[in-house]
Amino acid sequence: MATVVTETRRGAAIPACLFAWLLPGAGHLYLKRTVKGLAFLGAIGTLFVLGVAMDARLQMSLGLDDILASLFSLAQMAIGVPYFAARALGFEAGQVTSVTHEYGNTFTAVGGLLNILVILDAYDTAVGRKP
Amino acid sequence: MGSHVVVLLVFSTLVSAVFAMLLREDGEGRLRFGVMAFGAFVLSAVVVGWLMHPFPS
Repeated sequence: MATVVTETRRGAAIPACLFAWLLPGAGHLYLKRTVKGLAFLGAIGTLFVLGVAMDARLQMSLGLDDILASLFSLAQMAIGVPYFAARALGFEAGQVTSVTHEYGNTFTAVGGLLNILVILDAYDTAVGRKP
Repeated sequence: MGSHVVVLLVFSTLVSAVFAMLLREDGEGRLRFGVMAFGAFVLSAVVVGWLMHPFPS
């Protein structure tokens, strides 16, 4: 019986991680951890929205010619759909001359990095390592 | 959001909340950890800022 439970939980791990990447907190909401899910959605979502409002750069930079820019883009992309939605809505360039530009970059990148931790937490929850 | 201090406080609050939710499972533990992390963020920023004060811009 325990094996069945474990397999069921493992089966939930992949969709939980996928949802968690697509929208911060969605993985926990899928796993019925409502308080955690809403807290992550609120906190990480606010970080990202404030970052975009502070003229963050959301341009995609992937490649080996500028490793730091690639890592920065990957960190931002870890926030999932909000990143691509903001780009689609025309916020990708940001504004380098804005006073808060670097703050915005930090907010969006940290939001994505936190979401990676949230994805890992959703996985641990799905496989039963965390309550 | 034009004030450096306001940005620091907002950033510290949001990041501390996420870490508290990730690393503690009970309500009291989350609150305690969140307050400690928030304080550590703000205090370390003030200390680093104070240490950097003598350096020319």
